[in-house]
Amino acid sequence: MNFELIGVLIRLRYKLLWAKTRTRNGKIALFFAGYLLLVMVIALLAAGGVGAGMAAIRSGKAMSIAGVLLGGIYGQAIVASVVLGFGMTAIFSETELRRYPVRALERRLTRHFIGIVDPYWLLFLTLDLGLAFGLYLFGAGSFWLGLIAALLLFCSNYVAARVLGMLVDRLMMKKGGSAIMLVCIMLLGLLPAMLGPVIRRNPRIVDAVARLWQSTPPAGAAVAMTHADLAAWSGLGLILLWTAALVAFLVMLERRPPKTRVAQAGKVAWESPFDRIGAIFGPQTGALVAHWLRFYSRHNRFRTIYPLALPLAAFLQFFYGRQVHAAGGTFAISVSVFLILGFVGTAQFAVNQFGYVGGGFRRFLLLPTGAATAFRAGSYMFVMLSAALILPAAVLWSLFVPARFDPRAIVMLVACSVTSLFFFHGIALWTSLLGPRRGNYNQSFGNDLSFAGNLVVIGGMLSLLFLPQLAAKQWPGALTPNYWWVALMAALAAAVFYFTSLHFATALFRVKREGLMILLEGKG
Amino acid sequence: MDAIRITNLVKRYGAVTAVENLSLSVRPGRIFGFLGPNGSGKSTTIGCLTGLLDPTSGTVELLGQVFDSENAAIKKRIGVMPETLGLFDPLYAKEFLAFVARMFGLDEVTTRQRVTELLDALELTDSSKTLAEYSTGMRKRVAFAAAVIHSPEVLFLDEPFESIDPAGVALMKQWLRRFADQGRTVFMTTHVLETVERICHDVAIITKPGKLVWEGDVTLLANDGSLTCNGQEFRTLESLFLHLTGEKYTDLNWL
Repeated sequence: MNFELIGVLIRLRYKLLWAKTRTRNGKIALFFAGYLLLVMVIALLAAGGVGAGMAAIRSGKAMSIAGVLLGGIYGQAIVASVVLGFGMTAIFSETELRRYPVRALERRLTRHFIGIVDPYWLLFLTLDLGLAFGLYLFGAGSFWLGLIAALLLFCSNYVAARVLGMLVDRLMMKKGGSAIMLVCIMLLGLLPAMLGPVIRRNPRIVDAVARLWQSTPPAGAAVAMTHADLAAWSGLGLILLWTAALVAFLVMLERRPPKTRVAQAGKVAWESPFDRIGAIFGPQTGALVAHWLRFYSRHNRFRTIYPLALPLAAFLQFFYGRQVHAAGGTFAISVSVFLILGFVGTAQFAVNQFGYVGGGFRRFLLLPTGAATAFRAGSYMFVMLSAALILPAAVLWSLFVPARFDPRAIVMLVACSVTSLFFFHGIALWTSLLGPRRGNYNQSFGNDLSFAGNLVVIGGMLSLLFLPQLAAKQWPGALTPNYWWVALMAALAAAVFYFTSLHFATALFRVKREGLMILLEGKG
Repeated sequence: MDAIRITNLVKRYGAVTAVENLSLSVRPGRIFGFLGPNGSGKSTTIGCLTGLLDPTSGTVELLGQVFDSENAAIKKRIGVMPETLGLFDPLYAKEFLAFVARMFGLDEVTTRQRVTELLDALELTDSSKTLAEYSTGMRKRVAFAAAVIHSPEVLFLDEPFESIDPAGVALMKQWLRRFADQGRTVFMTTHVLETVERICHDVAIITKPGKLVWEGDVTLLANDGSLTCNGQEFRTLESLFLHLTGEKYTDLNWL
C-alpha cells in the first residue's frame, strides 16, 4: 500500500483548496468559513455534545436520548451531504486519480480518505465525540469505548452517505429518475404528517419501529457510549457489522459502472416546444431563450427543483397554516408562500446563470448578437418559468385554502409573487456577474453557488418566510386584502428594478465577460 | 481591401502583456498561418479578432470595417472555431448546429440541409450521443462544422487539426482550399508546420509576448524555393520557425 502517495494526494486536495484563497472572493470565503467553523466546533462540542450528554444523564434516560441524538446527527449528515452535496464535490474522481501511479484499492482509499477528512464531515465527528465525552463526563460509560463508538459511527455515517449519494445519482441517470426522486422527496416531506394518524390507529407500530431502531448504528453507538460492560461491546459490534455491510455495498456499487440513459435525438430541433415558446421573444432572443430552455431541461438538478416549487408552496401553506398562533393568520402565511413562489423554482440557477455552461460561454460571445443578448435571454427564461407557477398557485389557493373568496386577496397574492419574481431575478442578474461560480452540470444534487449566490437564495427564502410574519406582528392589519393596491405598487416597483438592473447589468456584462470566460472555462 | 487588417494591436492582462503592438494584414482568398510557440499570444490575438476579447489598444478591421465585440453585422460574416471549441455539452450535434445556424440567420430549409450534409461529411451521424459523450476529435469536428455552417467570408481556426484523424484532416484541408479558391479568407493557428507548408499561402510568426518577427509568402517552398529572414535562407518552415523563436532544448542526460 503506497501510503506516502495517498498522503501526497490528500495534501494536494488541501493545496487546491488553499489555492482558491488567492482571489479576493476566496479570501472573504475563507475568512467566513474559518470563522464559522471555529464557532460551530466550539458551539457543537460545548453545547451540542457535552450539553446533550449532561441533559441525557440528568433525565435518567441516557441511552434513549443519546440514541435519538446520534440518530438525528446520522440522518442530518446523510441528508445534507446527499441533497446539498457538502463534502462530496471536493472528492477526487476515479478518472482524475488514474493519472497517478496508484492501484485500484489505493485509489478507492484515497478518494474516501479525502472525502472523510473534509471539514464538513469533521463537524459531525465533533458532534459525535462531544456527545461521547459529555456522557463520560457525567458518569455514563467508558471514555475509550465511547471514543471508539464515536469514531466507528462516524465512519459508518460517511459510508452510508456515500452509498445513498451513489444510489440517488444512479436513479437520476435513469429515464424518469427525476420524477421518482420528486415523489420520494415529497413523500419524505409529508411522512411526518402521514405517520401521525397511522400510529394513532396502530400503536404497535411504535414498538416495532423501536425494535428495528435498536439494530441501527446510532442505537449501537448509544449503547456503547452509555455502558462500560459487555453491552458496550455488543453496541460496537453492531456498528462494525453495519459498516462492513455498507462498505461491501459501496464497493459493489463502485465496481458496477452506471448505465447511462441512451436518448435518441430526433429531427433537427427547429420546431421543438422550446423553440415555439422562445418564439415569443422574437427571432434572435427567441432562439437563445429556446436554447436556455433546452439546456436546463436536461439539467437533472433543475428538473428536480423546478417541479418541486408548487408542492413546496403547498407544503408551506398547510404546514405553517396549521399554526394557529401565526401572526397575521393564514393570509400572512399565504403572502409568504406567494412571495417565495416567485423565486424558489429558479433561484438556485438564476443567481449563477452561466455557472453550468462551461466552455459554451465562449459560443455566446461569438454569436452575431450583442454580447449580452444571451445573458438577457437567460434571465427572461428564468422569469418566464417562475411566472408560469404563479397562476396555477393562485387557482389552487382559491380552491383549497379555507378562506372566504375575495378577489382582492387573489390580486394581492399574485402581486406579491410578481414582486419577488422581479425583485429577486433583478438581484440574480447582479449575482450572476459579481458572484459567479463554475458548477457541475452532471451533479444531481449539491450546492454550486458562491457565497453571494447562497446569501441571495438562502437569505432571500428565509426573509420571505419570516418578514411577512414580523410585519403582521408589528403592524396588525397590514397584511390583509384591504391593502391589495400596496402589493400592486410593490410589483410595479420590482418590475422597474428588474428592467433597470437588466439595463445596467447588461453594460456590466460587457466589462465582466472576459473574466467570466476564464472562470467558466476553469482557467481562473 | 484587406480581409483582415490589424494595426498596433496590444492586449494586456494587468501587468502582463499578451500581445505587443502587432500589425499585419491578410488579403482575401488567402489561407493565412499564424504561428508561434506556446503562450506567444496566438489565441489571444484570435480572441481580439473575433470579439471574444477587447484589445487594450490598436484597431482590428475585418472586411474593410472596424470591428469590435458588439459589431453583430461583421460577426455574421465570420466563422470561428475557438481553441476551447465553445460547445454546449448536453446538446446533440444536430441541435447545436441548428442553434448556431439559426443565430446566424439561416432559414429552416437551409439549416436542415446544411446540418445533415455537415454531419454526414464529418461522420458525426451517431445521434445517440450528446456532445459531452463525443471524443475530442469528434468535438473538434462539430466545432468546425459550427464555424462554417453559415458559409462565412472569413474563417478563424484555432488549432483546427489537432486530435482529428488523418481522414478528417484531409477533408478539412480540401474544404479550406476550396474556400480560399472562392475568394474567402482563412486565418488559422497550428503547430503542425508541415500542414502549414502544404495549405497556407502566407504565414506570420510571433514570439512571446505576441510580437511579430516574420511574415511572408510560403508558397515558394512548394516550388523548391526558400524563405529569407535577415539575409539567411531557410528551406523549410520548421527551420525558420526554430531560428526565429529561439527554441533551445536542454539535453537531459537522464532522459
